[in-house]
Amino acid sequence: MSVDQNGAVGQSVLRREDDYLLRGQGRFVDDLPTPLSTLHLAFVLSPYAHARITSIDASEALALDGVVDVLTGADLAAMVKPIAAQIELPGYSFNTRDVLAVDEVRFAGEAVAVVVAESPYLAEDGMELVQVDYESLPAITDIHAATDPAAPQVNPTVPGNVYFEGRFATEGVAAGFEAAAHVITEDFHSKRVTAVPIEPRGCLAVPEQPSNLVFYSSTQIHHLLRTALAEFLDVAESNLRVVVPDVGGGFGIKAALYPEEFVCAALALRLRRPVKWIQDRYGALLTDVHARDNHYRVEAAINDDGIVLALRAEIRTNGGAYSALPFGCTLETTGGARMIVGPYRITEYEYTATAVATHTAPVLAYRGVAQPVCFMAIEGIMDRIARRLELDPAEVRLRNMVPTAELPWTNIVGVRYDTGSFVESLELAMEMAGYDEFRAGQAQGRLVDGKYRGIGICSFTEVSGTGAPGWRARGLTRLPGFDSGTVKVEPTGKVTAFVSHAHSGQGHFTTFAQVVADALGARLEDVTVVEGDTAAGPYGTNTFASRSAVTGGGALIRASEKARLKLARIAAFMLESTPEDIVVSDGQMHVAGVPSRTLSFQEVAETAYAMNTSDLPEGESFGIEETDFYDPPLVTMANATHIAQVAVDAGDGTVDIEGYVVVHDCGRVINPMIVDGQVMGGVAQGVGEALMEEFVYDEDGQVRTATLIDYLLPSSVDVPNFQIAHIESPSIDTVGGFKGVGEGGLIGAVPALVNAVADALSDLDVNVNTKPLRPALLSRLIREAGG
Amino acid sequence: MSDEVQVTVTVNGRRREARLEPRRLLVDYLRHDLGLTGAHIGCEQGVCGACTVLLDGRTARSCLHFAVAVDGSDIRTVEDLADLDELHPIQEMFHQKHALQCGFCTPGFLLTTVELLERTADPDEAAIREALMNNVCRCTGYANIVDAVAEAAVELRRRSPT
Ligand code: FES
Ligand code: FES
Repeated sequence: MSVDQNGAVGQSVLRREDDYLLRGQGRFVDDLPTPLSTLHLAFVLSPYAHARITSIDASEALALDGVVDVLTGADLAAMVKPIAAQIELPGYSFNTRDVLAVDEVRFAGEAVAVVVAESPYLAEDGMELVQVDYESLPAITDIHAATDPAAPQVNPTVPGNVYFEGRFATEGVAAGFEAAAHVITEDFHSKRVTAVPIEPRGCLAVPEQPSNLVFYSSTQIHHLLRTALAEFLDVAESNLRVVVPDVGGGFGIKAALYPEEFVCAALALRLRRPVKWIQDRYGALLTDVHARDNHYRVEAAINDDGIVLALRAEIRTNGGAYSALPFGCTLETTGGARMIVGPYRITEYEYTATAVATHTAPVLAYRGVAQPVCFMAIEGIMDRIARRLELDPAEVRLRNMVPTAELPWTNIVGVRYDTGSFVESLELAMEMAGYDEFRAGQAQGRLVDGKYRGIGICSFTEVSGTGAPGWRARGLTRLPGFDSGTVKVEPTGKVTAFVSHAHSGQGHFTTFAQVVADALGARLEDVTVVEGDTAAGPYGTNTFASRSAVTGGGALIRASEKARLKLARIAAFMLESTPEDIVVSDGQMHVAGVPSRTLSFQEVAETAYAMNTSDLPEGESFGIEETDFYDPPLVTMANATHIAQVAVDAGDGTVDIEGYVVVHDCGRVINPMIVDGQVMGGVAQGVGEALMEEFVYDEDGQVRTATLIDYLLPSSVDVPNFQIAHIESPSIDTVGGFKGVGEGGLIGAVPALVNAVADALSDLDVNVNTKPLRPALLSRLIREAGG
Repeated sequence: MSDEVQVTVTVNGRRREARLEPRRLLVDYLRHDLGLTGAHIGCEQGVCGACTVLLDGRTARSCLHFAVAVDGSDIRTVEDLADLDELHPIQEMFHQKHALQCGFCTPGFLLTTVELLERTADPDEAAIREALMNNVCRCTGYANIVDAVAEAAVELRRRSPT
């Protein structure tokens, strides 16, 4: 049997999602019709970072017409077990979180009570009337001060405020440093950010038979959420259904499991009424998971050619006040430690990686996880090697990279790079950016027309599509890696494909249809994709960490192949041929060499569903509905090079991005238009992270950035135009050859921009080793350097 | 409630009367009383622009207005742009240029574009970027939106040459 048709995969098919979204008919969680009996929640958030709750008086709130109840931590503790991430790493300090704080609050924004009311307005009125008395306690927010012996203890089960310390060393590290002609050492500082999807979080819990509860949530991980609700609420998982409506951006922060979800579900079950909660922006900024409050000290032993002989990294990540579900506070820690080696031939490596507890919001996944920072560090080191040895930064990278001819290659921490284009992507990016011409121009001086001009490179590997072994290597033993697909050919010959993912803007209805059309031999327009519903299709790990193309695509290809085989067996029986001789093409089937006698999918399906007078072949079951699962390898490694050109104003320190090039390699591309969209959106977030965004706590742990006026997001005048090119090195380790692309834009942008600014200012005696690089900081550095 | 206030507005060409609490936000009135959920709430701080509607022909943040305060106004929301068979040219160009991902910000961008192109038939890139700078999109990186607006301007000029 063979498939013979023009592939849908590889085409920039326009999105099916667009029409209804453009008409304003998207169904985000706050748009869902709610039963009239719906109750609404408002959470009372602690203004203190660390305090004892001495009393909560809800009498005034309860006296308000329309306020149904006010519940505190103790009330919820009777309904929901303390939630906890399961991390199996040696030395990890297990810790739990009450869904509403009991007795003590550990970060500003932690919820201490919830108001249940007949409308959102009344819930908010009630919230303002709840009187909470706190006894303020000393708080610690700084990543280094947290482990001072005198520092206040954040969590009783996290001694010394160290959640986890991981160590790794190869044998020859010391020898590498002894043999070194130079040692380059640098500290890299990364400030805290948060993802800020424009849709805040929300959920709607509707008690409904025959399940006990249908739970709508703006989550990226519906199956994991359902399992967690079952575990921590102690209800039968089979009586819960989690549905993901349209989601207005996730970027990883919606791949966390949040207290509000457990509270909302518990109250709906208890009160036997629908319960709805929609977050406001203040709550989003304070309580969504944060990211990137990291410090890296990196030492590189190099020879006179700029080749890295050995690398040491001391990594410290701020995990916040609790280890958040499901990935835990070690996500950035183990991530940075394992990914920093990037595309380079690092053969001797040592790390210490520490996750610390502070009185700040929990830290979990944000697009790129540790990678924007660990590559800011290693790519910063590459530039420092170049400056020390007076080599070109591109040349230093080329000398250290693993060349394509040496792939597959297994890096020093055991991650296999099956295919890739490290050298080629850098060379192509240099050509597109006019790199050599730019450098020639710089030779006349970097300061022209009052602006320092610089160019920055980031060449990197991009973790995507992680399988169960990849999670286990990071202590996440309860996190699966597989996803599932079910492909159903309906009696009319139309195709419904179920996949265990949930979209938040990625265009899954379009891209997965492309994958299924090709694998099944169906017409693209006949394939409909269904996802984001635990009642539709089997279990999966869901949508985060650049997984969906790899895991969902792989599962759907496998399921489609099974369905195609069944179609072929039935068609062969009907055409008195053999399945091997059946050719499938554009929803039609014929015997090879006899294209005149064709059967449509509908004609074959009618036989499968006993809707005509044909018999099924002996032993064949009814229907055409096939399921399969796909767990990718340890890690699926994509790669890319970003090159940024910037102009730093010598007076006010503002940064203009004058050119931006991306050469990306995510293996086989399903839809180039959508891949470009992912890249551009990621770079925009990287522009924010590198130049503007910082979530600020003051010394007492109070929030200074509680609105979008204080927490700056990049707008249309901050983000440049892009030049994007693709190299396709299909994965040989994954089904379909796909690699992920969701995070690369952001990962590459932060180091490329930081390096570009550093390059622009490299004639001055300033050290650019932090982000964000805001005008005030840069103008001060320039001034201090006498520039 | 006794302190409700009578409001009369025209929404997408249709006259609407309601008695509303003075504090009811325009965006909540549109979304939850009229079922026009195309205007979204991204911040309620007047920053993101997801709640943008046209108020007497000018873009306005429906999260910053009380519904009773716009008594007598003419309001146009994203639901009014397309007809049943065809998207509005601006919407069509957003589709063609992949100018939306999650789509949450999109209604605000569409209405901001309507206002821009009513005032300036042929904006250059800088003018487009300037006009869009008070709407935040966290997904697209803006470049495709800027393209879509430029192409929509071309299409609208083609349809009604001046
Ligand atoms: S919701 Fe109105 S500006 Fe953000
Ligand atoms: S498309 Fe998601 S915020 Fe703009």
